[in-house]
Amino acid sequence: MDINFRKIDIDVYDEDAIHESEIYEADPRDPGQVLNEAKQKQSGVRALLARNDVAGALKTVLEGAPFGPGADEAKSITLQTLLTILNSTKSTDISGAIKQLTQDDHDTLMKYLYKGMAMPGWGDISGSVLLGWHEKLTEIAGTGCIVRTMTDRRIV
Amino acid sequence: MSNVLRPYLAAVRSTLTAALTLENFSSQVVERHNKPEVETRGSKEVLLNPLTISRNENERVLIEPSVNSIRLSIKIKQADEIERILCHQFTRFMMQRAESFIVLRRKPVSGYDISFLITNTHTETMLKHKIVDFIIQFMEEVDKEISEMKLSLNARARIVAESYLTAVSSGF
Amino acid sequence: MILLDPHNVIIQTTLNEKLVKPSSLDVQFVDYDGVRFHLSTPEKKTVLLLSMHIRCWDELVRYGAIDVLQREYGALLVGQAEQDYNVSLMIDLEQVPAEPEAREAFITSIALFKRNAVAAPFESAFNTQKELEKAEGQQGELMQIHYRDEEAIYIQAAHDRVTVIFSTIFQDETDRIFGKVFLQEFVDARRQPSIQNAPQVLYSSRDPPLEIRHLTNLRNTEDIGYVTFVLFPRHFANPNVASGTISHMQLFRDYLHYHIKCSKAYMHSRMRHRVSEFQKVLNRAKTEVATAERKTVSGRTMMTR
Repeated sequence: MDINFRKIDIDVYDEDAIHESEIYEADPRDPGQVLNEAKQKQSGVRALLARNDVAGALKTVLEGAPFGPGADEAKSITLQTLLTILNSTKSTDISGAIKQLTQDDHDTLMKYLYKGMAMPGWGDISGSVLLGWHEKLTEIAGTGCIVRTMTDRRIV
Repeated sequence: MSNVLRPYLAAVRSTLTAALTLENFSSQVVERHNKPEVETRGSKEVLLNPLTISRNENERVLIEPSVNSIRLSIKIKQADEIERILCHQFTRFMMQRAESFIVLRRKPVSGYDISFLITNTHTETMLKHKIVDFIIQFMEEVDKEISEMKLSLNARARIVAESYLTAVSSGF
Repeated sequence: MILLDPHNVIIQTTLNEKLVKPSSLDVQFVDYDGVRFHLSTPEKKTVLLLSMHIRCWDELVRYGAIDVLQREYGALLVGQAEQDYNVSLMIDLEQVPAEPEAREAFITSIALFKRNAVAAPFESAFNTQKELEKAEGQQGELMQIHYRDEEAIYIQAAHDRVTVIFSTIFQDETDRIFGKVFLQEFVDARRQPSIQNAPQVLYSSRDPPLEIRHLTNLRNTEDIGYVTFVLFPRHFANPNVASGTISHMQLFRDYLHYHIKCSKAYMHSRMRHRVSEFQKVLNRAKTEVATAERKTVSGRTMMTR
């Protein structure tokens, strides 16, 4: 007798079952538009960094950061932009820059820090830079910030 | 604690503390089951985003939180063949005693050397911050232990070789 | 105990005992490398028969073991060896020298039975080297002694040196890696000024050294290692030095493996200690559970099984 029918996941057909799309609200923007924005931000950040405005640069990147499926390229550009900021900031300036950000920006920054550490290839990122930022951010934004990173389904 | 290791362990500590907010939670899929959701992976709404903390490619910690359990996997630094075998022996030795280590998982998650599984029962019967202390102390000392074992092996090898060759060269 | 002794402790202690108080006995025992001994009193209490079995006996005979044993033991050697054994000695306890020093020397020489048998190819190589001294570029016969199931000693004399090669098997991954550490130290140790006179040591894993590469019966797997000792004439310049060198050389393989096992045991005890320390840390996390004595209605104490 064929018993394979037992292995069919019938819960998927349940009306109450939760789908990926219901867990969080999708990004209303079009992927192409998001990508363009990410690229614009990249050059904007360079200008801000040249003027030594770390907080401003961070704000630019973190506000309206791409999330959800279909925006992989925009995500990696944003990560790269952010990492250039992190790498070029002196360790004494970190706390000051973080204090100027809003709570939402803190959460997004935390998400990117974990994303950076989870990257398999590493490239030009140094673990100690990310860990240094992580420490300062946790000091200022608290454990709640990490909890929100864990629970927020809008993965960057 | 060495200064190089401190930010790494601090990050693990804060992340682990954040993740250890567990509550009793029965399975939504199978009636009368109450299993660690991070292991059964039955319903995705109770699984949270896994977080990685890493110093470099060879030293990483993966924390996979869920509603009633978290899984913490550690990749221990292994610089060469000797450290690899010593680390393997040490972790195997511990995992064979997982029974008495309550929070230890019998098998590591693939890609890591040792894993811990902390459930809501553990956080209810044990002090949460002490569990965190245990994990941190483990991470701190396992590196030290492995490098000490390696040193003692080298020292022994040197004494053994020297006394043999001394005996041969003198002829007695 | 860092170095291993070349003599057999059982032979030594048994002989010492029996010299004081002869009695009938029949014991079998073993030595390194699967050598078996049988010590018995077949005829009367004062005459001991000591028989030995070595798995590479035929090879040893070819390289002159009989001559060496004849020289060492003379009349003690029995013409026809006991069944199942390769060679036997007949020791008449009444003939043993009485004065303490001579007696001690006699017993020690009996206890070196195995060492003397295996010494034959080494002695022959040392002699060959002396003969070849004038003839530069010539090499003696490559002697093979398969003293264990899968491990062998190769000895070859040249005009200015004697090369001794050991092949050794590492049973598992840990042994192999530990072995590598030890052998590397053997190679490096010679840099110390105090032991610069020691023989040169080379080691290779898997690939056999040049001298024996032409042999066809070699295993070619990861777990095999080759150790080469290059002995110069100064290591066997006079009989005393030569005999010391032979005793140590013979036991090299056992010495190496003995210390690998010791290290493993040490690691194990260390891990045991460290794990119990971790256990204590984890136990600190447990909350105290009040365990009051519980009684049943009839007044008996409840026990948890």
